[in-house]
Amino acid sequence: MKLGTSKRAVAAAAATGVIWAALAGCAANEEQPSGEITPNSSGPAQAQLQGELNGAGASSQSAAQEAWRAGFVALQNGVTVNYDPVGSGDGRKQFTAGGIGFVGTDAPFSVEDAGGGHGSCAADSSLVEVPVYISPIAVAFNLEGIDSLNLAPNVIADIFTGKIANWNDAAIAADNPGVELPDLKISPVHRSDVSGTTGNFTDYLAATAPEAWTAGETEEWPQAGGEGAEKTQGMVQALTAGKGSIGYVDAGQARDLGWAAIKVGDEWAKPTAEGAAKAVAVSSLESGRGEGDVVYELNRATDAAGAYPLILVSYLAACEKYEDANTAELVSAYLKYVTSDEGQQAAAANAGSAPLTADAELSAKVSAAVERIGS
Amino acid sequence: MTATLTTGQPGPALAHDAAATLAASRPGLARRVKNRIATAAVVGAVALTAVPLALVIWAAVERGSARLDLTLFSHSMRGVVGQGGGLLHALTGTLLITAATAVIAIPLGISAAIYLTEYAGRARLASLTRRAVDIMVSIPSIVAGLAAYALFSLLFGPGTRSGLAGAAALAMIMIPVVVRSSEEVLRLVPGDLREAGLALGSPRWRVIRKIVLPTALPGLTAGAVLGVARIIGETAPLLLVAGFTDAMNYNLAEGRMATLPVFIYTQWSAKGLDTAAYDQRAWAGALVLMAVVVVLQLAARALPPQIAKIRRNR
Repeated sequence: MKLGTSKRAVAAAAATGVIWAALAGCAANEEQPSGEITPNSSGPAQAQLQGELNGAGASSQSAAQEAWRAGFVALQNGVTVNYDPVGSGDGRKQFTAGGIGFVGTDAPFSVEDAGGGHGSCAADSSLVEVPVYISPIAVAFNLEGIDSLNLAPNVIADIFTGKIANWNDAAIAADNPGVELPDLKISPVHRSDVSGTTGNFTDYLAATAPEAWTAGETEEWPQAGGEGAEKTQGMVQALTAGKGSIGYVDAGQARDLGWAAIKVGDEWAKPTAEGAAKAVAVSSLESGRGEGDVVYELNRATDAAGAYPLILVSYLAACEKYEDANTAELVSAYLKYVTSDEGQQAAAANAGSAPLTADAELSAKVSAAVERIGS
Repeated sequence: MTATLTTGQPGPALAHDAAATLAASRPGLARRVKNRIATAAVVGAVALTAVPLALVIWAAVERGSARLDLTLFSHSMRGVVGQGGGLLHALTGTLLITAATAVIAIPLGISAAIYLTEYAGRARLASLTRRAVDIMVSIPSIVAGLAAYALFSLLFGPGTRSGLAGAAALAMIMIPVVVRSSEEVLRLVPGDLREAGLALGSPRWRVIRKIVLPTALPGLTAGAVLGVARIIGETAPLLLVAGFTDAMNYNLAEGRMATLPVFIYTQWSAKGLDTAAYDQRAWAGALVLMAVVVVLQLAARALPPQIAKIRRNR
């Protein structure tokens, strides 16, 4: 009798085991090619690395990181790269606390912080920071039948501070002859979390419309009122759902909304990858930083034709020296791939960013910075 | 009769001429009308609670079925950009972490319940345990995640993420559920059975092992399965301590491990240009997770009678 129970138990266990085996079979896309490793098609063959590389940081980079991960593991079969899109601020905190190999951040480490004292690095190591992701931020709106509007910086500032409250306001109409603006309340949407996108948006307003925008550059939305939305996807959702809403969002993520053309010099510029690249080209690097610390001082108030200065420049930060030699090799190889032409094109295809490799001088600086990574 | 008249007074909203004559001629009508209204209200309330459930299922099926293909169950997300890819890594991770959680939480939970029902009596430790369990039930899951994160960071270095850490966090949520349900079930075992066993000279542990636990087994199983169903959909603690990865990971002790809820979250929150591909994967993931939970709930119902039957047959 006792036997009956245990027989059944064995049968159940066996059945579970069979299901388990079926489920736990290695994923079809992860089967390692038996025999020799597929040779790298372009460039000299790289050493094959092993291990897990963990990063965290800006959510703006997550689509680009996905493309980089995919491209990198195609070259390095034995490596798994993980990226937690926890936000720039949390990413930097984690990096300083230790435990991750690299951090993606929309705002670079401050000059003092770049000096050292990060738990993820060897004790006396300073930082390597390179720009890896440049993307236009769109001022996106939801108005039926209108997919493009001309908005000058001071008009944008007035809309977000609540001074302009209706879409048929004379200030908007003046820049948009021939567009039939509806009599509709404007509902501005802002990011409720601490966000690199907010930082770049407010930096742009502070530089181009200092009278209308007095709050300066801040990663936390400074105004009372308006609708708050969490993260990029929350912003897209709020804008898609709300008629008459307006917000600012990574251009790659807001394809179905209307985009504002912003005033640059005497022309109206729409968010494009080329315009973003142009805006970077007319900016200079921040002085007073180490050789491995390549950080931009963006020229938001540029009037260069074809430039779109409302952009987000996101960085990858890593250590110059790691305790662990394998981690150092992984980070070095990953950053080399990310900053290569191939990596930048992959990001452009999946995230709509502007490739950074067009500028030879910058590429050389970035390569030199990445070369400094070691153990 | 007078009682009927006073209680059956038609409300002012009714066309009172007709109602009054009707009420007079057929004394039960007003009562029946009230009965109907009450029935309608109750049925309506039931329907109203079922509506969100139906909507959720419908939405998940409608949007998730587009990607409910073989690739979904045979591929991970490693090396996938945009279209394609699957959730095998997340499904495996969920099953592994849930199994590990069950292995931690069920013995602990049942042991605590045995202590409370069989040994504790009026001991101060018993009321302390009960209070602790009550508090643990109401702990927000993210706090459990933080606690596990802090513990594993302390033990294995900062920022440690692993499937085991996830299981530890989930166990904190599951243990009180198991303790409560097991305690209820063990209390239902008649005291006569225990006394009979003790009277035959069995030691207490043998009475528990041979009489109390087998009698309560169906209920204990149901409680355990419900506990599993409670934690299998948890997102926040896993996001924190198990992390996320694109690739398969069978090793609970080392490396990040993907799980279904976190898979759904990351697919939704971090999209590439081809947003439809990410949305479809997220919804398909939601559909699979719901299916897993439904299977577990059905198992919780089907298992106890089965176990009872097996016990009767021997």
